[in-house]
Amino acid sequence: MVYITSWDEFVERSAQLFRADPDSTRYVMKYRHCDGKLVLKVTDNKECLKFKTDQAQDAKKMEKLNNIFFTLMSRGPDADVSKLQGKNRQKHNQGKEGEGNNSFVGC
Amino acid sequence: MVLLQPDPFLNELTSMFEHSTEKGTVWVTLKRSSLKSKVQRNKMAAAGEPLEYRCLIRATNGKKTISTSVGPKDHQRFQASYATILKAHMTSLKKRERKDKKKVAGADKKEGGSKKPKRA
Repeated sequence: MVYITSWDEFVERSAQLFRADPDSTRYVMKYRHCDGKLVLKVTDNKECLKFKTDQAQDAKKMEKLNNIFFTLMSRGPDADVSKLQGKNRQKHNQGKEGEGNNSFVGC
Repeated sequence: MVLLQPDPFLNELTSMFEHSTEKGTVWVTLKRSSLKSKVQRNKMAAAGEPLEYRCLIRATNGKKTISTSVGPKDHQRFQASYATILKAHMTSLKKRERKDKKKVAGADKKEGGSKKPKRA
């Protein structure tokens, strides 16, 4: 079981995993309030990706990922989630390069 | 395994979160499913009917399991309510104070390496 450290990588690979096999890929979320921990898992029963955190900011990112999965699962793997992912990336990059807002132009 | 409508499911999910604050875990699983058995699926494929997929959502606290299925039309409403419930209950996660308080000696900033420290 692989714990992924980068959120973006986790999102990319999970979306890829789902598109490759939509019928057997599932997304699991485990939350323990007493420990303050959140673990996300995406697996197609062959490969497994996990992400764990105790940060509130990751809960917000997880909500976006939830939206992506809801859309993909109810509409089908060909659904357009580029808007959802695009927003995520833009915000993330602006956060990293806060000194110069002009350096990254949105895709 | 109890199959519910989306709204009662959300109510039950809320109470699950509330009951597991001191001790316990909440698991939520999302999966795409057509909710039909293999036989039915093969029949439909043979007859040329398009299969209608739904998003299956399951939640458990280890003792009780509830589930619901959401189709493409109701998924946006469901995901909004679901997001609200999560936001309301995931309060024990640590908050990061980066730019808000520069006065803090940097002890909090060092936690969680996903964002780079801004002030060089």
